[in-house]
Amino acid sequence: MNKAVEDKMLNEKTIEENALSSREYKYGFYTDIETDRIPAGLNEDVINMICDKKKEPDWMREWRLKAYRHWLTLKEPQWPNFKYGPIDYQALSYYTAPKAASEGPKSLDEVDPELIKTFERLGIPLSEQKRLTGVAVDAVFDSVSVGTTHQSELEKVGVIFCSMTEAIENHPELVKKYIGSVVPYTDNFFATLNSAVFSDGSFCYIPKGVRCPLELSTYFRINSAGTGQFERTLIVAEEGSYVSYLEGCTAPMRDENQLHAAVVELVALDNAEIKYSTVQNWYSGDKEGKGGIYNFVTKRGNCRGRRSKISWTQVEAGSAITWKYPSVILKGDESIGEFYSVALTNHRMEADTGTKMIHIGKNTTSTIVSKGISTDESNNTYRGLVKVQPSADNARNYSQCDSMLVGNKCSANTFPYIEINNNSATMEHEASTSKINAEQLFYLTSRGLDMEAAISLIINGFCKEVFKELPLEFAVEAVKLLEMKLEGSVG
Amino acid sequence: MSETAIKTQSFIKNFNELAKQRVQGESVQWIKDLRQKSLSRFTEIGVPTNKDEEWKYTKLNDIISQTFSASTEADLAESQSFENYCGPDDILYVFVNGNFSASLSRLNKIPSGITITSLKEALKSNTSRVQDLISRYDVGESTTFVALNSALTDDGVFIGIDANTTTKECIHIVHVTSASAAEALSFPRSVIMAGKSCEATVLESHISFKDDITYFTNALTDIYLAENATLHYTKAQHESLKAYHINNTRVWQEQNSNLDSISVQTGSRLNRNNLDIVLNGEGINSTLNGLYCLYGHQHVDNHTAVDHRFPNCISNQLYKGILNQSARAVFNGKIFVKPIAQQTNSYQLNKNLLLGTDCRVDTKPQLEIFADDVRCTHGATIGQLNDDELFYLQTRCIGKVAAKKMLARGFVDDLLNTIQDEEINRKLHILLEPSFAQL
Repeated sequence: MNKAVEDKMLNEKTIEENALSSREYKYGFYTDIETDRIPAGLNEDVINMICDKKKEPDWMREWRLKAYRHWLTLKEPQWPNFKYGPIDYQALSYYTAPKAASEGPKSLDEVDPELIKTFERLGIPLSEQKRLTGVAVDAVFDSVSVGTTHQSELEKVGVIFCSMTEAIENHPELVKKYIGSVVPYTDNFFATLNSAVFSDGSFCYIPKGVRCPLELSTYFRINSAGTGQFERTLIVAEEGSYVSYLEGCTAPMRDENQLHAAVVELVALDNAEIKYSTVQNWYSGDKEGKGGIYNFVTKRGNCRGRRSKISWTQVEAGSAITWKYPSVILKGDESIGEFYSVALTNHRMEADTGTKMIHIGKNTTSTIVSKGISTDESNNTYRGLVKVQPSADNARNYSQCDSMLVGNKCSANTFPYIEINNNSATMEHEASTSKINAEQLFYLTSRGLDMEAAISLIINGFCKEVFKELPLEFAVEAVKLLEMKLEGSVG
Repeated sequence: MSETAIKTQSFIKNFNELAKQRVQGESVQWIKDLRQKSLSRFTEIGVPTNKDEEWKYTKLNDIISQTFSASTEADLAESQSFENYCGPDDILYVFVNGNFSASLSRLNKIPSGITITSLKEALKSNTSRVQDLISRYDVGESTTFVALNSALTDDGVFIGIDANTTTKECIHIVHVTSASAAEALSFPRSVIMAGKSCEATVLESHISFKDDITYFTNALTDIYLAENATLHYTKAQHESLKAYHINNTRVWQEQNSNLDSISVQTGSRLNRNNLDIVLNGEGINSTLNGLYCLYGHQHVDNHTAVDHRFPNCISNQLYKGILNQSARAVFNGKIFVKPIAQQTNSYQLNKNLLLGTDCRVDTKPQLEIFADDVRCTHGATIGQLNDDELFYLQTRCIGKVAAKKMLARGFVDDLLNTIQDEEINRKLHILLEPSFAQL
């Protein structure tokens, strides 16, 4: 093939590609608010300072320091097939809180009105009058939680839903028992860093036999420059309980890359069920790939009890780089793990996401459904592991990962690792990569839909299997988010 | 220094003496350079460990803790089994313990348009063609065992098929290891060049008729398909159950060529196969199938890589395996689609049947796609025989063992039935027999 034709093929933008070039990031504003932050840098003094600010007990301080000392021995992982700029861990400030919050608002009425306004612009009403029916929200702004709604209502049924700081203060026995039990502080580079410097996060405890009456949710917002967000979420579902938990994230548009290294731990005991949904929309950087959040998150659930169930659902639409592998350890007999994911990348985003399903108990089942859509010069990777231990008799897994490519500068990769050590295991893995079906597009346009609406409809259909797993309000939001990302001019 | 590191070093050192001989004895300058470069590459990268992603599930500790030496013996005691396996009609080119055996080879019936000679002989008349092919692969990038073979192989076989030659005759290359060749080391080397618009059938067998001898085979095969060429290529491996077999096959396909290949693996203690295919033109069709039936403590590791560099190509992969007792299988298939390779159709499937109580499978079918107008799928399944099917057969008065065999046979037959040559099929069934006897 001659060079000119080749170049033309490579550089020509298709109609679909133009349609998918995204609009401006809607949540890119910055709230000018007085903050209380500790100087940049990372050493034992900084960790002590965080502990002091949060008035933490000694065991917590010890744990953080142990993690920090271990972190010093670790090397930053280099294995992915792309490069990112070096992160200077000494240049980050590890604690930034809105000034008003550091005095500790006793109720939501005392929260800085500027903050409430910020969350309202994000579509998260903190005042309970205007609340979304049936959703309790914990709002995390930079390093701290600024308010949790519906606490009293939840208390009536015994559900504890509060910020991590409050949990360490009020329920130390629970936190001590479960923190680090799923993701130990030695787990990996970013999880260890998180264990040392985590500033806040949500804590949620569902007592025995309680079906949590509200959807619980946390909203994360990075606002200040030069900081990273290191939150830690811990959800414990006691025997026979049920909880559905949602998280959402946004950040201002900035030229610098900001680090978000969170840890999420889920524990499900006998017959308990945890449903964890994420709509991630961090700022993803501009067209040239400048700025954006590095989203390096460790999420893991442990199905400790018999017939327990953990289900992860995620819509990944933001972040410059995402590394995220929500995993389930299927320890209890007959436990169930599920993973549903939609990852949409545009500009120069890199999404490397997938799951790990570790089958240990007998008759355990796992389901993986992953949908990736890449456009522009982005790179979308599914990387997953299904491991069946010798003890896991009759393990069953079904995996499906589909990718859709729009334009010829993006790429889609699939790296499924399947390790089977038991001969009674049954597993199926299926993956496909293709473009939007031209016939479907033609059909829809011939019925009077414009190109953009047609593409949006097809993509919605492509992701339907995942969206139907989201709680209703979030499903609507996710569809809107996808549409917004895809909105653009038809060239 | 750790114990493994010491072993690795002495393993590498073992080859130095042989390498010196090979380099000094080489008369063709570019081959001499190639040997020298390959040797330094081998010494530089050493033996891969489990930390190497490509060797994550296959340990080489057993190989490196033993000492192997090249054998000069070319006699085969097991002539009856050999005759039985090879049949009366094939064109045969036979190596015994890595040495060419003129008495066992049958080269009198070679059809016109086909050249079968030793590689050394071929370099005299065809050196530029062979050099052109081999120099497409950068020595500096080559893997441990490709480098080791390139440095140490003594002589190999060259099969040249002239343009527009079509033959139904099967060309059979046999590498057989005799019972007397314990601790033998051999480096089989084959180069197959199919000219424009030709069609030919090649079978490459690596066999031994004794199951209890230890030896190490490190094979390298280069296949080149010119425009419109069609090649039916079968690789059959039935080494001794204590042998180590590491094989690298590199295929280079030009426009509109057609490769129809299958690799059948039933023998050896540890078997690693690397199959790399470059699709360097439009309209290429490439089929790479594989079948492994293992039992005991056998370990097989198949790595395939298909590189789609041009538009409108099709590649098809189906690897199936039956694992019994404590056998272990690893599969890693890679499909690369370059940005320019639009309209690519690529399929990959790995199916495993686990029958043993202690068997293990690690599979990783992976896709790396940089073009949008493509259709690529991959899949993997791991499962057991269907209870309902077993029950059905039993209700028809077929014993449980016979029913199991029947179903397992059905599982592999759809692959074997794709082989058109009946004689090759007969041979493969002979090789599969011991594995099926264990069911």
